[in-house]
Order: sequence, then C-alpha cells, then structure tokens
Amino acid sequence: MEERQYDLIFICRPDTPEPDIDKIISTLEHAAGEKGAKIEKTEKWGRKRMAYRVHKLREGVYVYMDLRSSHGEVVKELERRLKVSDPVIKYLTVRVDEELKRQAKLKRHRERRAARRPRKTAPGQGAPSGAAGGGERAAAQS
Amino acid sequence: MAEENVTRQPEQPAPAAPRPQGGPGPGGARPGGPPKRGKRSFVRKKKVCRFCVEKVDFIDYKKAEVLSPFIQERGKILPRRMTGTCARHQRWLTVAIKRAQNIALLPFAAEL
Repeated sequence: MEERQYDLIFICRPDTPEPDIDKIISTLEHAAGEKGAKIEKTEKWGRKRMAYRVHKLREGVYVYMDLRSSHGEVVKELERRLKVSDPVIKYLTVRVDEELKRQAKLKRHRERRAARRPRKTAPGQGAPSGAAGGGERAAAQS
Repeated sequence: MAEENVTRQPEQPAPAAPRPQGGPGPGGARPGGPPKRGKRSFVRKKKVCRFCVEKVDFIDYKKAEVLSPFIQERGKILPRRMTGTCARHQRWLTVAIKRAQNIALLPFAAEL
C-alpha cells in the first residue's frame, strides 16, 4: 500500500521537565518503529500560549512529529499511548499526504502554464512599451 | 409531426416574447433610479482572494498567524463575502482553521 503521511502534534503540561518530553518522544518513536512506521522528523515548538484553556492551563509545550506509515494502525497505537501518558494534555493526528499530493499537482500545473505563458504575454508587453515610447515622444515634443 | 412542430414553435416564442418586454419593465424602473445614483456614488473596491494573489496551493493549519486574519474577534470564521476569498481557498481555509482550533492554535470562542 502506498505510504501515508501524518502530522502528529501533542501538547504537554508546561511544568513537564525536558527529559520527560524526550522520554515520550522516544517511546513514540519506538512504538512507531515496532508497527513498521517511521518518524521522519520531530520538532519541539516549545512553550506556547494556547488559544483556550485546557485542563485549566493556559500554556503548553508543543511537539510536532512527521509520521510516515503504510497503514493507520500506528496512529491508533500512538494515540492510545498519548492518551495514557499523564503529561500530555492534548494531541492531534492529521493525515496530510493527500493534500500534499494535491499541492504538488497544482504546482506542476502552474509551472506548466507559466512555461507556456511567456509566448502569449510577450506581444502584450511589447504593445504597452510602444505606447509608453509614444508618450515619451509626446512629452519630448511639448 | 411537422405541423406540430410548427405550431409549438410559435407558441414558445409567444410566452417568451412578453418576458423580454417584462424584462425592460424592471429595467425601466431602474431608469427611475437615476436620482438614486448620486447616493450610490461610492465605488466598492473589488475584493481579491488573498491566497490567489500569493498563489497558495496549500493552507497550512500549523501557521496560526496566516489563519488569524480570517476569524472574527470572538473566534468565528469570517464569511467569504467579508474577506473576498475565493470558493476553493475558503474551503481549504475552513478546514485549516478547524484543525488549528482542535490543537488550541486558534480559539473556538474567545474567552471573556
């Protein structure tokens, strides 16, 4: 099956010590590895103010992960782990590969159109420049 | 068969004919409008989709600062008629905003 790409974001309590967060990340990586998935990259966004209160907390430590997998089982397992772990107050997994594919397609279309366009616009560009030249001449005459 | 067609054809234009006349009717009412024209002198600037201008192919839900201009103070998503976003980008935008809300990057409703 085709490889799927997921965004996995979770928020920890702001008072979580750094080693604990690293521990969560490593356990997730391990769990993903067991299920045959791969975590491409992990970004710690750090302490951020949340848009609304979660568990009476205003701030949280955001961690972002880029997950590649060929099946959705991994997501289930990782979400279960996040649910169980105490410092995690919120998490979200989003499948993004379809949108990225759409983006690539649109980009390709645009590039192709851009490659075709110069021929059409060239005469158009020529005309205004000629008109501008006429204007200059007129200005010179006056 | 041919006769039927012939008879039907005149029938169809017949009801259609009064309509064009009716059309100018309201149009005729509009010429009654010219006195109003002074009041509507302001020209509404055509709104352009911001994402189309920048040629955005993908609206990222992780960039809250990009999405925040499209929500109201209280957290509602602004309608297309307010922002001028095109249909396609508005569709992507709503999805992105809703995702951002779920991970507390954007509010569902502003707190008092």
